[in-house]
Amino acid sequence: MGGYEQVGIQLQHRFGILALSIMLVLLVLDLMRRGWLKERYALLWLTTAGLSLLVGLFPGLIVAAANLFHFQYLTVLFSMYFVFTLGLVMSFSIVISRLTDRNRELTQELALLAHTVERLEKNIERRA
Amino acid sequence: MPRVLVIIPAYNEQETIGAVLDALHTHAPDYDVLVVDDGSRDATAAIVRARGVEVIRLPINLGIGGAMQTGYKYAWRNGYDVAVQCDADGQHPVDRIPALVERLLTGDADLVIGSRYVAQSDYTPSFYRRIGKSILSRIVDFFIGCGITDTTSGFRAINRKALDILARHYPEDYPEAEVLVILHRAGLKAIEIPVQMHARQGGASSIRWPQAVYYMAKVVLAIFIDMFRKFMRTPGEE
Repeated sequence: MGGYEQVGIQLQHRFGILALSIMLVLLVLDLMRRGWLKERYALLWLTTAGLSLLVGLFPGLIVAAANLFHFQYLTVLFSMYFVFTLGLVMSFSIVISRLTDRNRELTQELALLAHTVERLEKNIERRA
Repeated sequence: MPRVLVIIPAYNEQETIGAVLDALHTHAPDYDVLVVDDGSRDATAAIVRARGVEVIRLPINLGIGGAMQTGYKYAWRNGYDVAVQCDADGQHPVDRIPALVERLLTGDADLVIGSRYVAQSDYTPSFYRRIGKSILSRIVDFFIGCGITDTTSGFRAINRKALDILARHYPEDYPEAEVLVILHRAGLKAIEIPVQMHARQGGASSIRWPQAVYYMAKVVLAIFIDMFRKFMRTPGEE
């Protein structure tokens, strides 16, 4: 904290970030290929992985940010992942809310239609 | 002659639904009746059908809000002038439904609530329930100043203007209090008349108190947000 300027990041941290980013990109691409992940959500994950990769390739970015805020660079690194996680979780909450609404609408329409069909069937029986 | 639909949302109410329908047949023979079966696993729907009453069965349990809204959508699409909400558990005095409807038809209100607190009643809610209801009433009164004492009563009648709004916007759980706020935001008016409620005749109350706290927080938040929303009627509808 304070008092000294951080000049770079430890090699093992850099490798860790790179490995994580590359694995994340490969995982997301594979999930898309299998059709388990829609492009919309894949884009969120790829952005996260992409920025992480950027930090792994150019560690100077995170060191500069850490010096600016007088933080350890690891704190900045974890904060970055945390913010991305928050964003992803928020987007899921929005999606779930919308799905709940649509689910309710569809359930109601289905029940109303089933009732109409029942009534029509009774009418036909009566005429026959 | 205005067309009136009595909507009864029911979830596993086989013990009481038959008696409620029989009472409706006696006290309100001119009104159409629709039971919305909210995915019951008991004989509710069979009992209703055996009496020749219309029933809509929801394939998934949606909760009281989703069930009631289904009834409102049905009433709206089938051109009803008045929709009455009445519980399936026998707590609501069915013989007072004509009074709700008459009051609504005088035309100075869009929602008429049958209120427990205006008259003596053998309905005595539990301690937590009383606190919850009183807090909710105060909150609703603070936001809209409606002067309604029984904001959580589910014994109510609405006209077509209110039907238009509620068929499209209806709250999920504990909808009664929030409905007042929604209708107020839509520029509609609510009044209440005294009714005597009965004690439960069967089944179990659907809420326990930890859930009640959760629902309370949910309703308060929903009411707060509603105050910043607009609820418009369908353009071109009378």
